[in-house]
Amino acid sequence: MDSGETFRPSQDEERLDTLFQAYRNACPDPDPSPNFMPQLWQKIEARERVVLGFGRLARHVATAALALSLIMVIALSLSTNGPSALDESYVEFLAEDHARQNLDYVEPVHLEPADFQR
Amino acid sequence: MLVEFELIKRAQSGDGAAFNQLVLAYRKRILGSIARLIGHPEDVEDVGQEVFLRLYFSLDQLRSPEVFESWLYRLTANAAYDYLRKRGRRMESRMADLSERQVIVADATAGEKAGRDEGERKRVRDAVESLLGAVSEEDRVLLMLKEVEGLSLKELGTIYHVKENALKLRLFRARQRVLKAFRSAQKQSAGAGTTR
Repeated sequence: MDSGETFRPSQDEERLDTLFQAYRNACPDPDPSPNFMPQLWQKIEARERVVLGFGRLARHVATAALALSLIMVIALSLSTNGPSALDESYVEFLAEDHARQNLDYVEPVHLEPADFQR
Repeated sequence: MLVEFELIKRAQSGDGAAFNQLVLAYRKRILGSIARLIGHPEDVEDVGQEVFLRLYFSLDQLRSPEVFESWLYRLTANAAYDYLRKRGRRMESRMADLSERQVIVADATAGEKAGRDEGERKRVRDAVESLLGAVSEEDRVLLMLKEVEGLSLKELGTIYHVKENALKLRLFRARQRVLKAFRSAQKQSAGAGTTR
């Protein structure tokens, strides 16, 4: 039995809308305090300092990384030049050695006339 | 628009005085929206400053001055949402807190009373605060922007970059949850009234 205490959806919707409207009236736009703008600019400047500091740090890191990579490139090029010079001298050494050995082979065989006579 | 497009363009190009004027023009309106979105008057200025701080550092990303207001509302909604999430608002708002005394403000004269009497205002704020405990922080902000701030679905679509139909569905579900909490609170208060 409907005693009148049950709530129809449309009635509830209306009451909820009324409550939202009351909430709108209960929270009017507040007047900003006199410190609002100075504090805002303080926060902006503080954030800017952080951003600038971070940017400066990032630039230093980038410069250091660039310098380090240059040093590494130079070191690498030196280290790759080293073995090739060694290789070259080793090859030269082998060539020289080979040439020396070849001299032995190309040397004319001396046949003693006495041997023929025997 | 409360300001000329020219002022926005000047602020975008780094003119501090223009930015100052921009803040002065919008701060009262934005603080009002924040007050209603977060429901904690003591933190309104902090959140408001956060909104304008974000505005200062993101103004160069604004494509055209025509969309400035929706951009500002987007920043406001995001800052309010971040605040609510940090505060863990739902911990303190429970349906059980909604007493008969609070529900009674939903009568036809509540709006007028709330405009006059500080005690009544607080009761209305507490009642809505308790009801909004039934939805997530995200839905709370969305619902407030629609129901209390009076933004249209089109405006909300521009703010959230979401299609109107998706918003409509989300708002409907959020409102249904709040309505369910509202009915439950009314039943509780009616029950409490009959047992006295």
